[in-house]
Order: sequence, then structure tokens, then C-alpha cells
Amino acid sequence: MARIELHNLRKTYGSVVAVKDINLTIEDGEFVVLVGPSGCGKTTTLRMIAGFEDPTAGEIRIDGRVVNDLEPRDRGLGMVFQSHALFPHKTVAQNIEFGLRMKKVPAPERQARVRAVAEMVRITHLLDKMPGQCSGGESQRVALARTLVTNPSTFLLDEPLSSLDAKLRRELRAECDRLHEELKRTFIYVTHDQEEAMTLADRIVVMRQGEIEQIGSPLDIYSRPASYFVADFFGSPSMNLVAGEVVHEDGGVRFRSKKLSVDLTARYAHVPPGKATLGIRPEHVGVGFDGTGANVLPARLIEPLGKDTLIYFDDGTERAFVAVTEGLGKAALKVGTPVSLAFDPRHIYLFGSDGRRIDPK
Amino acid sequence: MTKSRRRRISTVVRYAVLSVWAVIAFFPIYWMIATSFKIDTQWFAWPPVYIPNPPTLANYRNVWLGAEEYTSTQYAISSQTPLVSLKNSVIISFTATFLAVFFGAIIAYGASRYRLLSEARMFQLLMLRMIPPIVVVAPLSLYYSAIGLLDTLFGLILIYFITSLPYAVWMTKSFIDEVPREVEQAAEILGASRWRTVFEVVLPLIRSGLVATFLFILILTWSEYLLALILSKTNVTTLPIELSKYQGTTEGRVYGRQAALAVGITVPLMIIGLVIRKHLARGFSFGMVRR
Repeated sequence: MARIELHNLRKTYGSVVAVKDINLTIEDGEFVVLVGPSGCGKTTTLRMIAGFEDPTAGEIRIDGRVVNDLEPRDRGLGMVFQSHALFPHKTVAQNIEFGLRMKKVPAPERQARVRAVAEMVRITHLLDKMPGQCSGGESQRVALARTLVTNPSTFLLDEPLSSLDAKLRRELRAECDRLHEELKRTFIYVTHDQEEAMTLADRIVVMRQGEIEQIGSPLDIYSRPASYFVADFFGSPSMNLVAGEVVHEDGGVRFRSKKLSVDLTARYAHVPPGKATLGIRPEHVGVGFDGTGANVLPARLIEPLGKDTLIYFDDGTERAFVAVTEGLGKAALKVGTPVSLAFDPRHIYLFGSDGRRIDPK
Repeated sequence: MTKSRRRRISTVVRYAVLSVWAVIAFFPIYWMIATSFKIDTQWFAWPPVYIPNPPTLANYRNVWLGAEEYTSTQYAISSQTPLVSLKNSVIISFTATFLAVFFGAIIAYGASRYRLLSEARMFQLLMLRMIPPIVVVAPLSLYYSAIGLLDTLFGLILIYFITSLPYAVWMTKSFIDEVPREVEQAAEILGASRWRTVFEVVLPLIRSGLVATFLFILILTWSEYLLALILSKTNVTTLPIELSKYQGTTEGRVYGRQAALAVGITVPLMIIGLVIRKHLARGFSFGMVRR
């Protein structure tokens, strides 16, 4: 059982505000991912929950009890660090055993539990090795085992996979998911990798500059981004975000940028004219090759990825405009070919000059 | 000139320079060892005798066992007690060094993790050690006689401990600074108290550094002369004091005996150095490479 609540949690270092009065409740058994670019305050938040940083203001409650003044070891949490933080002078078995020894668990029981946990994360063959002899992925499994064995109510994971290569990351991501399913414990996972967040989380907390930008399920975050920042952060390739303006003309509403002009439905009629950003995910951009329509741009770069092909355009802004299309060979399309772009109105987002999403009525 | 030829020449030059340096560095040690095996007529012979001929153990027997063995000249040195001094030296230096390294490491941990000592304070700490001992030794001997520490083992242990503490703090702090915080925090969240973390995680991780610091301070206290001379009289003599006795006015310069004693003083340190050389190499190069 562990329900974690953060009330107006704040952390400042001198004049720098790392975490700005955040409020968050993490339910028992939930897998929550804190995600955001570096310096957004996600790790500081996690470290405050762990007890390694004292909050400047605000409260941390675990199961309703304020734990601000509790030492890390008295909070009943387990933590996996980015650097694994194994004890290099102890064998893998001694590393895993450490927490049990601190809790004065009798030796025979310790051995049994170490073995059980080692089997669970498949590292029994490593038990007699030193951490220095383990690969990155193995070290991370050991770190996981060391935390698992103490049976904490909540797992805190601070970018645990960021030092591993892509294949291992996928593998261990699945492992984390499996452990969460099996243990039914609360997991708080910090990452800057949106893909990790999307695949693992029950709920994602997007942070930016010390504040929570949006909280929601992965699908929510992806399909209903609250702001320009969230829209940009999630998805690969990321959402096309075109700077331009909303104009009212001929009785309709239209979005116009340097090279694009998109009809908005009447549901956007309430949007006042002025600067705005149009967002559309690459997979929602329709592609035609007849060269007709309001928006025809020459293809600037073509990236065949096998199943899909990415087509890049120059829409007159700093960022490239990207469309994804399925099953298109490189030969079918040449750089410079004019391509008609269609914007599915159901998948269009509009962001105001303050960066917040403007909903259609 | 080809590249490989240039490399060969540079290797030759490098080894030549190092060899010359090695000869210069090792010659005094060789001379000490050679002299300890010489009969008395060869101690100051001219031209110098480089290889003792015939080699003799008389000096060792006389110095260490008190045997009255003489060759052509009579040297009546029978009041010496080098074995007692050896015992004193071992007790005093090892105890003082152990205490200095132990408490030094604890202070250094505090300085490193809690920022107890600013850079300036750390430097001031080291400056304490730069005060020439001769400046403080006179008042110190007054204090010592007043509180009854003069000429006691404890008195010398205490002063050696205090004077080497700054070195210990400085050296161990640089090692502790290198220990990643996350490793400590991992221990903490797994249930270890702060003391437990220090003893189970931090100190074992800087083992090589502690060993290097230990030897460094041991050499200082083992060979300390001035404080021992003033703060001890007859009850507690250390080996360096013993060594100076062979240069008295009545006996003249008894180089052979002195060399035999000096070898006895040097050898223990060399043996320790050899035994822990693996740690030393790691300890002295610790922190040289910034990550």
C-alpha cells in the first residue's frame, strides 16, 4: 500500500526555482512516469519523494502521513539510480543482500530471498561476480534486484535505462512493465524519453520548468496535448507545428502561414483573429500526387523507413514539415516532386499565442 | 630520419636519463647498506671502498644485539637500547598514524559531504602543518611537563596524531570527493544509517587511498626527530633519536654502527611499501583522472 501525495511542493536553490508548488496524487499500484526535458524538475521531485532533498515548502505524504522529516530509510521506498550505484567492492549477491542485512533479516532467509529475486530478474549466474564484471544491462538488473529484495511499497526509478543502448532499453522496459504487473506496487519513473513514458505509464506527468504541464494517460497526452510544449514533446516524428495566424474571411475561419492555408471548421469560429500555431501529426497529413489543392509543396527530403516513408517539406518556417505515408518506395517519389497536402480537420490542433491548446466548440 | 628510428632514439634517451636519475636516487641507500657491512677501517677510507671487503655483520651484532665485537678500534657503545626504541617507534607511529587516518577520514567525510570546511578553512588546516615545529616545541614542552605528558608514549602519540591530522584530512578528502553520492544514497535508502554507510560503503571504496595516506603519515611519524628529541628524555626514545646517539662527542662518528641502525629503521617501511604496493599505485593515482 502506498499512496503518495505532493502538496504545493517547492524546491529552490538560491534564487533558482527547481520545482514550483506542484500538486500530484499517485494512487497505490499506479505506474506514473515523470517526463520532461533536462532541468524540468522531474529528478528533483523524485529525490524529494526519496528524501535526498528537503523541500523548501510543501508536503509529501505517503499513505496520508507527512514524511518531510523522515530519513530516506524510514520511508519504505526503493530506488534505482541512473548510474545503477552498485557497491563496487561487494559481489552481486552481497549487493542484493545489503538491504536485508541492514534490516537484520536472518542469514538463511537472506540467502533464500536473494536467490528468489535473482531468479525473478534472471541474474542467478551473476551472483558471485563483482559489479565491475557485469555489462550495463546486467548491472541494471542487479540494481533492480537489490531494490526488489527489500520489498518496498514504492519503486522510484531515476532514468534507469538512459545509459543503455536502444535494444537493451526496450528489453528492460518490458522487464519493468512485467515487474509492475507482477508486484502491483506503485512505480514512479523519471525519464526524458517520451517513448519510454508512452509505453510504460498508466499516467504521465509532463513537467516543464519546475511545473506540471499536463497529467494524463499516454493516449490522452498524445491525442489531447494541453499545450504546444506537450504536443511537441510527444510523438516520433513529432507533431508538425506551423506558426501563422487565424483569419476570418469569406464567412469562414482559416489558418494561414507563409506557405500553407488551411480551412478550419466552423467550430473554430470563436477563435479571434491573430497569431496562432497549427498542429497536425505527420500521420494525419494526407498526401496526394496530382498537384492540385490549396497546399502544394515540393518534397525536400524522402526517408523510406521500410513500412513507412517520411516526406519532408519546407513550409517557410524554421522546422521542417513532415508527412508520413505508408508503403511508398523511394523510386515513386523524387526530391522536388510537388505534393498535395490535405489536413484532416478531425486531427487539427490549434495553439494560442500563450502556447495553450484552443479547443473547438 | 624514419619514425621508428626516432622513436627508438627517444626511448634510449629516456632510459638513459632515468637510469642516471635512479643511480643518483639510490646511491645514498646503497652507501648506507654497504657501510653497514664494512669493517671500521673502511668507513672513511680513501679512495672510498664501494664493496665491503670482507663484509662483516659486526655492526649489526653490536647495534641490535649489544654484542661487544670490535675489530681494530674500540667503540664502547653499550648503553644503547635500539630494540626498545624500535618497540617505542612501532607503538607510537602506528598508533598515531592509525588515529590520524581514522579521524582524518571521518573529518574529511564531513568536510566533503556536509561542506563543513570551506576551501579557505581547508587551506588554513594545512597551513597549521606549515608552522615550523621548532616554533612551538618550546612552549609545548612546558605544557607537556605541566600535565605530565613529557617523556611518555601517550605524549608522543598525541602530538604526532595532532600534527599529522591535517595531512590525513587533506589526502582522504580528495578520495572521498571521488565517491559518487548515488552509491551512498543507495545504501541509505536500503536502510543503512549514516555511520553504517561510511564504514560499509565509503571507507572500503577509498581503501587504496587510506592505505596510501597511512603510509605517507607513517613515514612522517616514523622519522620525526625534533618533537621526539624535545618531548622525550630517557624513558621513551624513538629510533631517530637512537640514531643520533651514534654521533656523540665521546664516541666520534661511528658510521658503520649508524648505518646498521639506519638499515634497521628503513627496512620496515620498505617491507610495508612492498606489501601494499598494489594499493599504493592505485592510491597515489586516485583522483588524477577527472571523469
